[in-house]
Amino acid sequence: MIDAIRLRRLALVAACLFVVAAFVSACGSSSSKSSSATSSATATSSTSSAPTGAPKAGGSLTVLEEAGYSGAWPAGLDPATNTNGAADQDQMNAIYGQLFQLGAGGHVTPDLATSATPKNGGKTWVITLQPNLKFSDGTPLNGQAVVFNWKRDLASSCTCKPILPPVTSITAPTPSSVQITMAAPDGAFQNQSLVANLTWIASPTALKKLGAQQFKITPVGAGPFTVVSDTLSNTLVLKKNPNYWQAGHPYLDNLTFKATADDETALETLEAGGAQAYNGMATPSLVSTYKSHFTTTEQPATSPYDIQLNTAAPPFNNKNARLAIYYATDAAVIDQKLFGDQFQVVQGFTAPGGLFYYPNVPGYPTYDLAKAKQLVKSLGGLNVNFFTLASPVNQNFMEALQTLWKEAGINASIHLYSLAGLIQAFDTKTWQAALQTAGAWDPAAGVGLAFRFLSTSPFSGVKDPKLDALILGAQAAVNPSTRDTLYQQAAQYIAKNADGPFLFPLASWNVAAHNVQGPGLTTVIPSIVVNTAPLWQDVSYTQ
Amino acid sequence: MAVTPSDVTVPGALEAVTGPSVGPRSRLRSGLGLWIPAGLVALIFFLCFVWPLIGPVGSPTGGNILEANLPIGSAGHVLGTDQVGNDEWARLLYGGRASLEIALAVNALGIVVGGLLGALAAYLGDWRDAVIMRVLDVFIAFPALVLAIAIAEGLGPSEVHTIWALSFFSVPAFARLARAETLRIRELNFIAAAGLSGTGPVRTLVRHVMPNIVPQLMTFALLGMGIIIVLEGALSFLGLGVPPPAPSWGNMISAGESVLSVTPRFVFIPSIALFVTVVSFNLLGDALRSRWSQR
Amino acid sequence: MSSTSAPLSAPLAARAGRASRLAGSPTLRFILRRVLAAIPVLFGVTLLTFVVMNSLPGDAAQELLGASATPAEVHELSVKLGLDKPFVTRYWDWLHGLVTGHLGHSLASGQSVASILASDLPVTFELILYAFLLSLVIAVPMAILSARRPGGIFDRISMVFSMSGLSIAPYVLALLLIWVFAVKLGVLPAIGWVPPDQGLGQNIRSLTLPAVSIALPLLCFYARLLRADLIEQLQSEDYVVTARAKGAGPWAVLLRHTLRNSAFGLITVIALNFGTLLGTTVIIEDIFGLPGIGHELLTAISNRDTPVVEGAVLVFAVVVVMSNLVADLLYSALDPRVRYGSNPK
Repeated sequence: MIDAIRLRRLALVAACLFVVAAFVSACGSSSSKSSSATSSATATSSTSSAPTGAPKAGGSLTVLEEAGYSGAWPAGLDPATNTNGAADQDQMNAIYGQLFQLGAGGHVTPDLATSATPKNGGKTWVITLQPNLKFSDGTPLNGQAVVFNWKRDLASSCTCKPILPPVTSITAPTPSSVQITMAAPDGAFQNQSLVANLTWIASPTALKKLGAQQFKITPVGAGPFTVVSDTLSNTLVLKKNPNYWQAGHPYLDNLTFKATADDETALETLEAGGAQAYNGMATPSLVSTYKSHFTTTEQPATSPYDIQLNTAAPPFNNKNARLAIYYATDAAVIDQKLFGDQFQVVQGFTAPGGLFYYPNVPGYPTYDLAKAKQLVKSLGGLNVNFFTLASPVNQNFMEALQTLWKEAGINASIHLYSLAGLIQAFDTKTWQAALQTAGAWDPAAGVGLAFRFLSTSPFSGVKDPKLDALILGAQAAVNPSTRDTLYQQAAQYIAKNADGPFLFPLASWNVAAHNVQGPGLTTVIPSIVVNTAPLWQDVSYTQ
Repeated sequence: MAVTPSDVTVPGALEAVTGPSVGPRSRLRSGLGLWIPAGLVALIFFLCFVWPLIGPVGSPTGGNILEANLPIGSAGHVLGTDQVGNDEWARLLYGGRASLEIALAVNALGIVVGGLLGALAAYLGDWRDAVIMRVLDVFIAFPALVLAIAIAEGLGPSEVHTIWALSFFSVPAFARLARAETLRIRELNFIAAAGLSGTGPVRTLVRHVMPNIVPQLMTFALLGMGIIIVLEGALSFLGLGVPPPAPSWGNMISAGESVLSVTPRFVFIPSIALFVTVVSFNLLGDALRSRWSQR
Repeated sequence: MSSTSAPLSAPLAARAGRASRLAGSPTLRFILRRVLAAIPVLFGVTLLTFVVMNSLPGDAAQELLGASATPAEVHELSVKLGLDKPFVTRYWDWLHGLVTGHLGHSLASGQSVASILASDLPVTFELILYAFLLSLVIAVPMAILSARRPGGIFDRISMVFSMSGLSIAPYVLALLLIWVFAVKLGVLPAIGWVPPDQGLGQNIRSLTLPAVSIALPLLCFYARLLRADLIEQLQSEDYVVTARAKGAGPWAVLLRHTLRNSAFGLITVIALNFGTLLGTTVIIEDIFGLPGIGHELLTAISNRDTPVVEGAVLVFAVVVVMSNLVADLLYSALDPRVRYGSNPK
């Protein structure tokens, strides 16, 4: 009787465990079962069942953005002060529109501006606007308004402004054009501006009326949508701009952005109907689950991961140590094992989705374990302090590299830091190796290339005037083929000096419910820095 | 962050967290009720602390990436491997060690430091009591989250720092509990007698007061073990706690959450282990309690 | 060490005595003393917060500008934000502002801290209150039914249930709940907060899953506690024996007497819990996209946004101090031997 009671109790415990076990594994297996059924059908294409019906006007769309990155706008949405501008491009584009936008096929197309013309060998750029543009508050968006904005943008201490040569003047030669003159040529100006604050034009009248503090919460621009309410880093509610310059657009009546905790939470939110789109899904192992429920489009990646080596301090002031790292790094196996072979291994700072991409860089030291072992032996061993910014993806990445290097005899201690810790680590000047990303759709856009390789950058591991000249020259040149040649030479130079190996860029996926479509959302547009920017004025529900 | 063992200052409840105990049959039943959970707890400790040292258990870190994501029952990996190829069985055992170490250390610190402080405060009474309790109030009122993040960012996350961070939180809680208990027994004769006979306050505390309040403190420490382990996991979710790649049940659960729908076993395996541990500890606590209250 | 036996009239006598005591001065004096003592506690908390925030690596300027800022840019922004002033000056400025009724402005967004707190606190408070309510609504009947027949089938099942509740991770629970109720059944939303003025029903629906995630460990703890207390009273309290001898049925005894006595204890525990729970809500708010103070605090700490952190910590501290005060009052009321923290010898 006594034993029976005990046994009954234990049996109850076991039963409950089994129930929970069955429940959870049922959840897991049901999604993987259905995904394996459909993924075989769509294995060859990177998209799945994108709708092709005619766009239907009307409807409300809720878009999820990841809370740690694009779903955070703690500094507000004023282009001059939104330090998170490049990450928040979805929100900014929806409110302000852009001067130029990146469209299908990776072509820069007009939006509020119609043309950008370099002059004086690239020292001067003239941007021509659409005629008779108006902000949503009815005031004119003309050359003067742009001049006002650009001066304000470049004067603010915000990393959201592009890295330009010193600017000598900004004027409006005609009512619908702007002219900017710099002390040195900048062939990449138009591309750099795509994701920098210069592309978002705020209404000067609204700025004055609301005051800068209120404006950053409820901004006014000339984009397809206007602000209804804004809870910073949580929910942004927008509605259709009735005075939008393009007739018949936007299709949607309402557009809402919401922050989501992570890809797993976003999946459940989408399945529950709490949202109909998600920009920036970045967990490769969840792709097949997403594909079984939603239109999931892989966006071309443009910023490869690279391993920065500090050539100014031991051990990597010795070229053999650097080469050992190159030879010991098997990027292909990491891509295969961690990311299911989804990404493209590269040998330079450009990637398949971006400009100036070449799959092979002549002279690049490729994976060769024997050579790595030999070099490590000749060095008498190699110990590395290896760090990066903390994130779950980076965690796995670092561990994988650590074990791969171990096979060659390289002992790496890995550290994942918060932002402040990362800066501190670089400040020490004796840092050794860091896992970072480099480049962008246009290598001169964002800060990826300059910060990693220019001798003037405090975070660079390389101090080489020759490399500086190549990189800066490539930015300055107006002729695209000149830029192409110079970037190739830069990549080869880096490979020859073994300044740091490149791995592969991580792509992200954009997700939409089956009856939603739009460029950049259900079709492919390269990301400029990290995420792809859908063209919200063209997003719609289908018939 | 959630309930703490000290939150209970109710007379009577402290005495009987367990079921009824009447009659000779119950004595036999409570005998088994003690030894079965005790055996389970001993087994858990053996598996987490001893077995990895003597048995064929692999390394919890440094796995081969070529063996990533192997399912349960794979050759050489009875519970499979994680996303970078580490053996899950090894991670479960070593993770259990880390989690148990944290839970035990936090509770031990709470009982010893908090218990003594609270008992001292109640025994001394007057303004000394007020001062001690107000200082402890500062730590209770200070959000544990801020402190935990500060310690992690300022000193770097580690198992030891996690113990400190959680102890800042448990020590004042145990102090309140010990104080309440001491206030109640202070008036009992033998305590007063000890005081009258000239025994110093510290001696009285250690010799007479503590032994009488430690059972209650122990009960709530046991009840709180599961909560602390889950709490460490919550800290891992925020990037604190035991830093990867070193495993703890908490950080295994939090890391597995991001792929819950694809490989639920990453969350599931440590969760079951945690559940069994919490049940065992609490059944043991119940049995010990009923033993003590029969005295 | 069992609790004192008391005659059936003890609760009634205690109540009468309590009433007269409340009207008298010792209670008021006690409250006044504790309120005054709270001021240095709050001062200590805010100072400790400032010290901690100041000792964290990096500053608001660096965190705002991110990894792609040059040191010159960071310095420029930190001067603009007033971060170059010495620690004492900054704390004194903040303290001075507090005394004159201003909590300062966020270093990240420039919004006034008061307005941030005003929009975030109601969300979190409503969530916590809802969680408490849920936990009590389930824990009390569960404990009563368990105590009614200890060792019975219901008692055993509820014991297993409460053990699981005490060992489940809240964020995993949240995901499972979303899966069942939002995805599969479609009856509750997976994300988002609806303010009460946009529909009370929607408001409650948007908080239900988050509240359940928080409430589960709570209700397990309360249920076990209450059950133990009820059983102890049913077995050993003389007034229970007397009531039974007089012919009162077991339910009557349970509900009318023991439950009321145990309720005091439970309320005490809840009051003590209130402060500690504010931290739990961080992860839950993140998962459900609720714009509450937990998430705000976490973001503010990583942004090194000291004014916001100070404001939030101050509110937390006030709540904790008040709830501890209430708990101590209730505890004193419950046990007549323990009066107001010190005993004249």
